Amino acid sequence: MGKLTAEQVKRLADDFAHMANALGDYRYENFENLTNEENLRLKELHAQTLSHTTELYTQSAILVLDDAATSLAQINTITLETKKLYKKLVGVQKVLDRATSVLTLATAIITLDAKGITNSVKKLLAPDS
Amino acid sequence: MQKLLSNILVLILAAITSTSCVNLKHVGEFSESSIEGIEKFEALSYNFERNCTDECLQKGIEKLKIHGQTCVCTADKKADSITTLIYSSTRDYFYGLTDISKNQLTNYKTEELTQTLATGDYGSLSLKETDVKAYSSISTIILRAFTDGYRRKKIKEYVTRANEPLQTLLHFLDLNLSGNLIGKMEVQKNSIKSFYFDLISNTELSIYERTKFTEDYFRRISELTAKQEELETYSKVIKTIAEGHTILYNSISKLTEDEIKGQLAIQGTQLKNLSRSLNNKNQ
Repeated sequence: MGKLTAEQVKRLADDFAHMANALGDYRYENFENLTNEENLRLKELHAQTLSHTTELYTQSAILVLDDAATSLAQINTITLETKKLYKKLVGVQKVLDRATSVLTLATAIITLDAKGITNSVKKLLAPDS
Repeated sequence: MQKLLSNILVLILAAITSTSCVNLKHVGEFSESSIEGIEKFEALSYNFERNCTDECLQKGIEKLKIHGQTCVCTADKKADSITTLIYSSTRDYFYGLTDISKNQLTNYKTEELTQTLATGDYGSLSLKETDVKAYSSISTIILRAFTDGYRRKKIKEYVTRANEPLQTLLHFLDLNLSGNLIGKMEVQKNSIKSFYFDLISNTELSIYERTKFTEDYFRRISELTAKQEELETYSKVIKTIAEGHTILYNSISKLTEDEIKGQLAIQGTQLKNLSRSLNNKNQ
């Protein structure tokens, strides 16, 4: 038998939950006719079934990782690509800003404007320019 | 000849701008609404670990044991980590989509460059300010046209490739929250009922005691029901996001059509209403 999927385990948990409910309802509806011992035994069985059911729901939630692994990898790749595209498009503005700085520097050099040269070089070397 | 060339240039520019000056606002808006909705995950008041701890404490109450009651919730912590991983991957995808859909992203500013060119001293080369401005504005349009066209092409590609894995992830996120976690809470309700049933049915206890137990029972059930409703509303958020992305995917070749914008706007409004509803539940 192959490995169970998250969905299959969730369905099993649902079935167990129905069984547990039936057991609980039987105890509540027949409480007055049950001996103390029978009531305690039924209560114990009910508690055990509920405990298995909750474990199955947790197992199903954990199995989701196996079933979603491929989709997770695919979506993470696409997210990475969108980030790269964003950087690339923002980069165009940075190139324009840099071009402006280079031209300003060139103009300053042509006109031998020492202060202008210093300012332009500073702007060019700034990390965000 | 000069006039003919000029006319051709105008036609080329018009063609480029009409095909690529896209308004991706509705994609961005849907994406932003999806982020607003999906991020309500972080405000959910219940998770697997909390359920495990509550169940464990309930066992302590049943045994009248307040000392040495250890709660082992390793598996449930793992279930929370997996659910959070799926949530964050889905959220990050929408952040990426929002970033690249922003219209101002390709609204490049060339004023500084234009000013530098127009006022610069280049010796024998003199540039007229009006000419520089004209060339600059044409360059900006062409630059935007090409980058917008490229952007639209990439968005189509991403949405197409992402739809299937995204639907799977949203399905599993929903399975874990509205399926498995709500299922565990139903079990918890049953455990609580089983515990209180014997106390409330015990005729050896006073009516006052039995009434108090009955009140306690209903209060605890009602608290759990409120938490389940919160998860159910979040489940609607997940389903609305999935539907919205499917609309986007199915109409990806008609990104500028009003009908698609209208459909995505409906999904966006639903998401905002659901988010508001979750805010009210958390207050």
